[in-house]
Amino acid sequence: MTVARVDRPRRAPAAAARASGSGARSLRRRRRLTALAFLTPLLAYLAAFYVYPLYRNLDLSLRDYTVRSFVAGDAPFSGWDNFRTVLDDPTFGPAMRHTMVFTFVSIAFQYVIGLALAVFFNRHFRLSTVLRALFLIPWLLPLIVSASTWSWMFNSESGVVNYFLHFFGVAPVGWLTAPDWALVSVIIANIWIGIPFNLVILYSGLQNIPGELYEAAALDGAGAWQQFRRITFPLLRPVSAITLLLGLVYTLKVFDLIWIMTKGGPGDASSTLATWSYQLGFGTLLPRFGPGAAVGNILILIALVFGLLHIRVQRRQEA
Amino acid sequence: MKPTRRTLMAVATATLLPLTACGGGSGSSGSSSSAGGTYTFWDPYPQFDASSDWGRRVTACGSAAGAKLKRTSYDTTDLGNKALLAAQQGNAPDVMLVDNPVVSTLVEAGILNKTGDLGLDTSSIQQNIIGAGTIDGASYGVPIGANTLALYYNKKVLSAAGVDPASVKDWVSLTAALKKVKAAGKKGITFSAINTEEGSFQFLPWFWGAGGDLTKLDSAKGVAALSLWKQWVDAGYAPKDVLQNTQTTSWQEFATGDYAFGENGTWQLGNADKAGFPYGVVNIPGQNGGSAPVPTGGEFVTVPVQKDSSRYDVSKKIVGCLTSSTNLLATDTTLMYVAPTAAVQTEQVAKNAELKPWVAAVAAARGRTSGGLGTKYPTISQPLWTAVQAALSGGKSPQDALAAAQSSAQKG
Amino acid sequence: MKSRGYTVIGLCLTALMLFPVYWMLNVSLTPQQDMRKDPPDLLPLHPTFEGYRAVLDDQLPYLGTSLLIGIGTVALTLLIAAPAGYALARLRPRGGGALELALLIAQMIPGIVMAMGFYGIFLDLSLLNSWWGLIVADSTIAVPFGVMIFTAFMSGIPGELLSAARIDGAGTWRTFRSVVLPLSRNAIVTVSLFGFLWAWSDFVFANTLDGGGSWKPITLGIYKYIGNNNQEWNAIMATAVVASVPAAVLLVLAQRYVAAGVTAGAVKD
Repeated sequence: MTVARVDRPRRAPAAAARASGSGARSLRRRRRLTALAFLTPLLAYLAAFYVYPLYRNLDLSLRDYTVRSFVAGDAPFSGWDNFRTVLDDPTFGPAMRHTMVFTFVSIAFQYVIGLALAVFFNRHFRLSTVLRALFLIPWLLPLIVSASTWSWMFNSESGVVNYFLHFFGVAPVGWLTAPDWALVSVIIANIWIGIPFNLVILYSGLQNIPGELYEAAALDGAGAWQQFRRITFPLLRPVSAITLLLGLVYTLKVFDLIWIMTKGGPGDASSTLATWSYQLGFGTLLPRFGPGAAVGNILILIALVFGLLHIRVQRRQEA
Repeated sequence: MKPTRRTLMAVATATLLPLTACGGGSGSSGSSSSAGGTYTFWDPYPQFDASSDWGRRVTACGSAAGAKLKRTSYDTTDLGNKALLAAQQGNAPDVMLVDNPVVSTLVEAGILNKTGDLGLDTSSIQQNIIGAGTIDGASYGVPIGANTLALYYNKKVLSAAGVDPASVKDWVSLTAALKKVKAAGKKGITFSAINTEEGSFQFLPWFWGAGGDLTKLDSAKGVAALSLWKQWVDAGYAPKDVLQNTQTTSWQEFATGDYAFGENGTWQLGNADKAGFPYGVVNIPGQNGGSAPVPTGGEFVTVPVQKDSSRYDVSKKIVGCLTSSTNLLATDTTLMYVAPTAAVQTEQVAKNAELKPWVAAVAAARGRTSGGLGTKYPTISQPLWTAVQAALSGGKSPQDALAAAQSSAQKG
Repeated sequence: MKSRGYTVIGLCLTALMLFPVYWMLNVSLTPQQDMRKDPPDLLPLHPTFEGYRAVLDDQLPYLGTSLLIGIGTVALTLLIAAPAGYALARLRPRGGGALELALLIAQMIPGIVMAMGFYGIFLDLSLLNSWWGLIVADSTIAVPFGVMIFTAFMSGIPGELLSAARIDGAGTWRTFRSVVLPLSRNAIVTVSLFGFLWAWSDFVFANTLDGGGSWKPITLGIYKYIGNNNQEWNAIMATAVVASVPAAVLLVLAQRYVAAGVTAGAVKD
């Protein structure tokens, strides 16, 4: 292998030339078959474990399922009825709004805080490696635990957050019990959970920016802010893009956190599409599978829109 | 005297059980071993593992019926959905213990056998307890026990505030008592107003106590009940976090010893003794006095429909065993439930006098799905707890919240 | 001098960030009766180790199961994602773009939607309540991510290395195995770590698919303490503390590679 690496520059063009020769077509076909062979496990896997659940979910949302027809499996096709029911529901507007606010506010803060911390830790001061490692701890806790801890800290009666606020003369806040604060509280908890992920990725992005650029900029008399705006931020753009995209992917579907902290309440003050879908499908004694699945599918549709948007932006950047 | 009778009972059932187990026919001992095999059993008691009393009782009932029972425990809230999914795949368990309001949903889905068709005798069970499992005159399960709600009070807190528990007779006197408690620097009352079925369960005694009707949520009576709760929260008689409280966390608040009252269930009696302060129990008062009707809680043993109907013989024996008087007594003692039959209730009270007010409360309780509501109840309960949350959190007035609930309940 | 200033700020920020974790520790040591004390005790002055005793008595088997499931998930994920990533990055299959989009969307599907679908499948195949069923389910979170990372990373491997291997007579499979995989160490570690952490902290799948099994993961072990009639906060938090330890060790060991793995794709151009 080492040998191969040594001869590489000389032989590579020769190989390319040979590939475009007489046997090109059969070579291409063979190559396609090989590609297929490598992809087969993935395709089989996707077909078995993604397509079927999705098909079922779609089926649930397009039929008029009652508990009886759910068991018997003879629910009549009802077209868009479930979607219409869901869209007409007074919960839809707020749930949609909360989903968007939750997702975008969380991502924005996670990103900004993560970036600020990454730049900060990039200074390589004493203990910086240790402290940076400590910052990752929140990421390791099972979500059910961090959510419980936050709901405990936010408790309106004996929570530690209100206890601290009282030192600053702030009256107790009903973090999880006041309609205006519930969504804020779950967003705060979600930002906290997301910071380590953003920090890790953005920090390693920073590592890949050559130090000479900063030295040159410093020679030109650029201050810290200038350096950040002219060098760090633009060079970090590809990393930022993937960070934000992954952030979006994982935030849009957050369910456990909200469910454990508020169950979408009080009323529906913190319900998002994900919690509402669960509420409809499983939150009551009489499950409403159809509308529940319809909400789930709307969520997938939103994901699809963002996915396409991402690909377009990516194409434009490459062009 | 007492031990003798219990021993007698135990001997009687021990000899009776094998008899019933062989009662299926002459060749049944042979067929039961071949038909025996493994039977599946689901219950909502994950807190009891195989070595607990309950776990051993289930195993014993299985072997008494000549079968090996495979017991699986799920969270109460999961059990109903799992049952529906399992039935859809034609894989329902042989015997299943479910929370009583779920029974009507499962019946609606057509997955439960009538107790009458199975030949199970339910005549000794109190009417209002089996009511939750009775749809169109046919019962679909045997209650294993019942529980309900009452007000626990902390004697120390009340006497410090100068309140005589006997003076709490209606809403006005209760609110007055809370006011005194608050003035004395203690906390008033805690309950659970969470946005799940538990929230509705806890609100119903007040709703019914005002004369409310579940088919007309926004009547003046319903509004009065919700206004009462709201008034307590706004005045600081009840903490804000009732909105997040499950019945368990609400109990923990009461157990701190700071609260005068806690609305909670029979099942907390065991914990009450551990709380470390003297307590008492009063029935939840109606708006204008008397005891408010309370909802029944507790589980039903049911036999889901199977493709292979020959399995019912064994399932039936298992149900018979679990609901035999001795086992009911033991089970209801473990769970701190009130037994569903008068005979066992008498035994329970003889053993533990504290249960007396609870037996009375259960006798006056109503099933949530009773009275022809059936599967309409879940579609009413969800808007109801949402309305309670909206009103207590200050999002809407009680009137508006209940009006919204009514319109959404009507849509189904 | 300046560096010391940064260290001080860094310490303050870390303290702020880790306060909830500290609080978790504090609660794990607080006796049940002081749990709702108002104001709360900021320091565990009267620590109780009851929670930890409960954990050591009950929870060790759950930890073992979680470890098994975590490792299994990682193995399955690598097995599926690495070849697929290679194909997408290097062999330019037809429909590769569509597949990548599908994988992106797949990651956005709410877990609960997947869980319900799985429940039906698992019931039919009687995979319910088995640890390897849970491995399959948990890997669905990691596989799309893994393919994305591998694709990005493997596109960054210089083409000359691969053609050189081919000229030496290595087939695609040999090239993949003895050139591409060793070079992709960072990506492998990253995918493994993420896969492990997701499997380790998964609750939705565990609760839906393994609720009644005898091999339950640690998240369900915690859930046991949030039962119908009790909530033992010190035991819950003690379990959480114990459960975080293996994950913490792993993260510290793997951190260096992770950074390189995740960003390789992002900074390829």
